[in-house]
Amino acid sequence: MVFKIILGIGLTLVIIAGIALPMVSNPSSFFELPVVPGLEDKARIIFFHVPTAWVCVIAFITSLIYGIQYLRTKEILYDIKSVTAAGLGFLFCILATVTGAIWSKFTWGAFWNWDPRQTSIFVLLLIYGAYFALRSSIEVEEKRASLSAVYSIIAGLTVPFFIFIIPRIVSSLHPDPIINPQGKIHMNPTMLVIFLSSLTGFTAVYYWMFNLRVRFSKLLYQQQMKEQE
Amino acid sequence: MEFLNQNSLYIVLIITVICWFGIFGYLLSLDKKIKKLEEKINKE
Repeated sequence: MVFKIILGIGLTLVIIAGIALPMVSNPSSFFELPVVPGLEDKARIIFFHVPTAWVCVIAFITSLIYGIQYLRTKEILYDIKSVTAAGLGFLFCILATVTGAIWSKFTWGAFWNWDPRQTSIFVLLLIYGAYFALRSSIEVEEKRASLSAVYSIIAGLTVPFFIFIIPRIVSSLHPDPIINPQGKIHMNPTMLVIFLSSLTGFTAVYYWMFNLRVRFSKLLYQQQMKEQE
Repeated sequence: MEFLNQNSLYIVLIITVICWFGIFGYLLSLDKKIKKLEEKINKE
């Protein structure tokens, strides 16, 4: 319970700080953010959009790990965990796409312009969309579990390429706060604190959602087993 | 209208906080419900 209260208060503070702290050209106190040239207030999306993409990667990697676990042990619990993680990853992937598209409307002028970032996240959505299509097309439980475990491993391996590599090989308009030093967002300590707390908070929310969903699926599965007996 | 234009940042803030409270409350209530279900099923 303590963990949940801390999470609730923490993310509320992150939201308030991320949106309401003033942006000034030369921040002198800890409660001021630097102006990002060319983006101004639109730079505030970094506190919310990047964590969604981050959680999306974590979730897909979790799905991959549980996929491997399932293939090794053939325990249905790992299949439940793998599909739950993939589902949440898909949700956060959609959130990242939508928040990105709204931001791009006001920065680049159109909701969608096939920037390498947008293209790669779109392909990622297609890959995981196919994962759910694959699952829903197989009736036999064990076959479904092992096939989707294999698919989630292959799909999980492509995630780093689509999120981290391809958008950096092809020239993109997408700002890269950490890796690219030139003409991109430079984070001052205040920004960094808010950003990292936001990452932590989003990850905690993801873990909470994952936990709830797994517990519920487990109950559902137990109930199904009882009915079959 | 002018009020909206001048305070747009705070309006965004309020809406975001309301959304977050909604999600948080929903997760809390789900947590409680699942806990109850687990107890009920384990008793059977």
